[in-house]
This record gives sequence, structure tokens and C-alpha cells, in this order.
Amino acid sequence: MRRVLLVMTAVFVVSLFAAGAFAEDFKLSIPLPLTGKQAKFGEMMKRSYEIAAEEINAKGGIKKRKIMLSFEDSGAKPETARAIVEKLIDVNKQPIIVGEYTSACAKAVAAVAEERKTPYLIVASADDDITRQHYKYVFRQNAVNGHYGDGVVDFLRRVVKPKTIAVLYESSAFGTSGAEAMVKDAEKLGTRVLMKERYEAGSVDFRPLLSKVKAARPDVVYMVSYVMDASLLMKQIKELRVDAKLFAGGAAGFAIPEFIDNAKDAAEYVVSATLWTPQVKFQGAREFAEKYKKHYGDYPSYHGASAYSALYVLKNTLERAKAWTPDKIRDALKATNMKTVFGPIKFEDREGYQNQNFMDTLVIQVQKGAFETIWPTQYASKKYIYPIPSWRERR
Amino acid sequence: MTSAQLEVLLQTLIAGVLLGGLYALIGVGMTLIMGVMKIINLAHGELMMVAMYIAYLLFSLFHLDPYLSVFIAAPLLFLLGMAIQKFLINPVLKVESILPENQVILTVGLGMVLANLATMIFTSDYLSTPVDYATKAWYLSDFWRSSPIELSLSYPWSVSFLIAVVITLCLGFFLTKTDLGKSIRATAQDSEAALLMGVNVDRMRVITFGLGSGLVGAAGCLLIPIYYLYPDLGGQFTLIAFVITILGGLGSTVGAIIGGIVLGVFESLTATYIGMGWAPVGRFVIFVAALIFLPGGIASLLQRKRFGR
Repeated sequence: MRRVLLVMTAVFVVSLFAAGAFAEDFKLSIPLPLTGKQAKFGEMMKRSYEIAAEEINAKGGIKKRKIMLSFEDSGAKPETARAIVEKLIDVNKQPIIVGEYTSACAKAVAAVAEERKTPYLIVASADDDITRQHYKYVFRQNAVNGHYGDGVVDFLRRVVKPKTIAVLYESSAFGTSGAEAMVKDAEKLGTRVLMKERYEAGSVDFRPLLSKVKAARPDVVYMVSYVMDASLLMKQIKELRVDAKLFAGGAAGFAIPEFIDNAKDAAEYVVSATLWTPQVKFQGAREFAEKYKKHYGDYPSYHGASAYSALYVLKNTLERAKAWTPDKIRDALKATNMKTVFGPIKFEDREGYQNQNFMDTLVIQVQKGAFETIWPTQYASKKYIYPIPSWRERR
Repeated sequence: MTSAQLEVLLQTLIAGVLLGGLYALIGVGMTLIMGVMKIINLAHGELMMVAMYIAYLLFSLFHLDPYLSVFIAAPLLFLLGMAIQKFLINPVLKVESILPENQVILTVGLGMVLANLATMIFTSDYLSTPVDYATKAWYLSDFWRSSPIELSLSYPWSVSFLIAVVITLCLGFFLTKTDLGKSIRATAQDSEAALLMGVNVDRMRVITFGLGSGLVGAAGCLLIPIYYLYPDLGGQFTLIAFVITILGGLGSTVGAIIGGIVLGVFESLTATYIGMGWAPVGRFVIFVAALIFLPGGIASLLQRKRFGR
């Protein structure tokens, strides 16, 4: 017994020394919403950061230093996020901030980071304004809201060439801004907007609105809706046999698995904007998606992919930085030009944005009950199906 | 009027009547409770939410069709309603307090507790019961080939509507033809006189609250195949039930049924001809108009006619 103990102690002591040979760990605290309404997204991003950190550490860490992740719950409250980041910079002396999800929180964090001259890498917050304020230390790797529908608009321009469009949107900030962006894009395309109708989120019966759409006969029906309204709309469109050349959604409710689960065959052929899918042909995307699914039972959305890639951007930056101080890291981050699971990442100053990564937004289409990437063609997993059959032809 | 315009109008009316049938069933439970107890049950929508979660569980665990779960969820809600009346509201009724309507406040609290319990148990994810017939419909052109217009009648909505009608007819039969039903109506008309005639008023109240809950429970089961479910859905439907109760005339079941259909049709017409964003506004216009021009609700119209005869 005693001998066993002795051996175990020896092994323990030796392993301690072995770990000591590794340089000091690099501690990174990430602010995230882990409670409240946005918790679902926070959770997904947390898991993705963890997967990335595990991979990086297994391959020897960053310059032989392991990443030690910890998470701070902001509950999607800007004031909490602000307090967390102040602590991270002032007390923990963390030289770079990564994280947050909602635009409101990211805005608050960006202000703190700029004030304290510490670089901040935004992962999934879309509000256009954040990278428009001439901040020197704020970087964003996801696309901005104004560019979100680019893929769909490009698809309309090249393939559908619609003469008329009907825009339906929920009466919220998200719905209104999405609808307005589409109306502007439609003008550029020379497409006439036949109707622009808002509805109250959570409505039971869309038939009156949809009969009106049916009578107007638009080429394209574009809808901006959250989660469940999207599937109710498509279900009732199918039932009323409202035919159009294309049914398109402005991400959100149309780009999540719940949409197909609930709308079932009514979801078929619907296209939607999105930033990333597990099928994109970026190196490692497939592997990351499968790894995530194996651990957590479902594919991640773009939030996860962006979070996962953020740690690789961090690794790349820290390896290039001359010293691990905020200013040197900032300079290295600015010079980033790398390929990630989330796509190529490069921080540019253009169109009035600073340190903004511009990426191709994707278009997905529901084909045989699954999301397939269809546009731009170089990222496509399947060819798009267009024209789509009328409801009467589908049985 | 062109055929396209006619099509829109007819389709809107169909949608309005189907929606109204469902509204009526949601409203009639609240009206019943209002008639007997003289209080508004503001946990009405939350009770419906509970029934919907029962239907959801039965569907996801045993693949039981939501329409069949009416026979399980409604009796369970009946028991829940009786328990609420017996152990929560009756004791509060007996307490003298500064607030005259403290039972109403009790129901508000009850609604909050139910909604938060649902959030704790099921999280705030959106749930649904994706049935195969969700988007099935009958089309006019299938029956009449040369029809100039195309109308559709949703299969699940029609089934929901028919079951709602059957349930309300049964309720009408129960209230007018059975002893128990007559006692409930007597309590509603004049509880003291009923007490003197030997009606156990306390027991009638317990049964009525159970009945009201059971009715809205049934409405929940009819709603879930065509809608979806989340813990905070109650408030929206409490409001609709409230408008119907006022519109129908406080406590009148027939009034509530007509009120429900009127509200459904009115909402659909607003959505088509003014804009769907205005539907909630339309709801309140009707509410205020009923209060000002028809304080007794539709029930008072019905009564006036009866006296005239």
C-alpha cells in the first residue's frame, strides 16, 4: 500500500514539474450572456470557445502557453457587460477582450475597450454603428446588419430578376430595419415594391394579409420574422396556395432548425440569408460542425463558428505580436490576414467602417427538408432550385 | 367588384369565422366564471398555456394527437380549476379586505406563478406539435373545376372550429337542461336567492371555476396544432377573452359566442383592409365601442329582442 502511495506521489510531483516546464498559462475571460433570453446563443458560443481552446492546447498552446478560459455571465445586460470588462482590464490586466453577443452589450464593451486602449474583438454583434465610430481598438469579424442581405440580393439580381416584390415584416426594430434595407435594395435592382406590410409578432392568423399578397401577385415574397412567425407564415402560404417565383426570408426565423421542424413541407424551397453553414467549404468547417454535433447533439449556427474562429484569430495574433501588451496586440490584430472556419478574416477600413471584416453572406435554401447552401456558387453545397414548383404541383 | 377582390373578401370572412370560433371557446370560459363569481379571471390565458403543455407532452411522449388530448387535458384542467377555487379563491372571498376585488389580484398572481413555473420546467423555448395535417386544406377548385375564384378551407382550423362548436353546444345543453346547470345559472342570476332555494352556492362556484378552466383547456388543445407554445403566451389570450367577455355582455354565454365570432371577423377585416399591424388596435376599438355604445354587450341586444316579442 505504502509503495503504491509513494509511486503515486512521485508521479504527481513529476507531472507538476512537467506542467511547470510549460510556461505560465494565458488566462482569458470571456463575457457572454449565459442567463436570460439570449442564453441559448451564449451557451453555444461558450461551447465553441471551449472546443477551440481544447484543440489549441492539445497542439501546444500559443507560444507554448496554454489558454485558460473562463466565462463571465453578463445576462445580455450592457451595464453588467461594462462592469465585467472594466474588471478584466483594470484588475486582471487582460491585454485583449473577446466576446459578448448582443449589439447593446458589444457597444458598451467597445466604449470601455477604446477608453482603456485595449483591443476588443467582436464575434457576433451586428449593429452597424459599433465599427463606425472611428474606434482604433475595436475589431469585428462578423458582417454588419446592413450587409446581411447581400447574398439574397445578389441571388435576386443574378437569378430571379424579379419585377415586383412584397415585403412582410414584424413590428420590431429588427423587422423594420430588415424591411427597410430590402426596400432600398429593391430600388437598386429596379424591382417595384408592391406592398410593405407589418404585422404584430405572435399573431395567430396571417390569412387576411396573405390573401392580399396573393391578389397582388408579387414575383418575390420577402419576410423578416423571428422564430415561430416564420413557420406559421409559410404554413399558411402553402394552405392558401399563394404562388410566387421565390419565397425569401431575412435570416433569423428562417435560418434555424426550428423553422424546418415546424413548417415541414411548407418550408421547402424557401431561401434565406445567413452568415455561415456547416456545409461551407472553408477548411475545417465540416470538422468543427461534426465535432460540435458529436458533443452537443446539434449543429452550431454562425454564432458558434465565429466564436470558434475567434480563438484561432487570437492565437494567430498573439503569435505575431511583438509583445503581449495591448498596443502591440492591437497592431498585430490590425495586420490579420488569415483563413478560418468562419471564412477569410482581414480587418479593413472602408465604407465608413473601421477594423471591419467584410465577408460574403450566404444564401441557404431548404431542399428535401434540410438547409443547403446555394449562393454564392463557390460556397454552394447544392445547386439552387429555381424556378420553384407552384403549390398545386407539389403533392 | 372584380373576382380577385371578391376572392380576398370571401377568404378573409372564412378566416374571420374560423378564428372567431376559437376565440369564442377561449372567451366562453371566462364569461362563465364572470357570470357566477362576478370576477374576471386574469389567469385565464395561463390556464390555457398549462393545457397546451399537457397536450404537448402527450404528443411528444405518446404521439397522441392534440385533438384527442382534449379528453385528457380538459378534465385535468377542470380538476385544477376546482382546486384553485376551493383552496385559493374561496378562502380569499371570506376575508374582509380594503380591496373589494382582491380575488382578481389573486388570479393575476396565479397567472405569474404558472408562467414562471412553465419557464422553469420547459425553459422559454418555442415548442410545437408538428402534425401531418397541419397544412392540409380543401380547395374550391377541387370541387368546382371552372370556379373563377379560388378559396381554401384549412383542415386543422375547420376541425378546431367544429370541435369548438360541439363543445359550446354541449355547454349550452348542460346549462339549460340539467339540474346542475340550472343551479349554476341560478347562482349567476342571484346567488342569495339561489342560496335560499337550497342551492349549494360554494359548491357551484367550485364547479363553475372548474368548468371555465376545462373549457379554456379544451381551447388550448384545439389551438396547439395551428399555433405554437411558449410560457408567456397566456397574457395575449387573457386579453382576447376579456374583450369577448365585455363584448358579449358580462356573464352571457350566447353573447360570448357571438362576441367571439364578431371579434374574429372584425380582426380579419381590419388585417385585410387596413393593415395587419392595426389588428390589435381594432381589438381595442371594439372594446371601447362596446363599453360606450353597448354597455350590456350583445346579451342586452338579445334580451331586448326577447322582451319585444
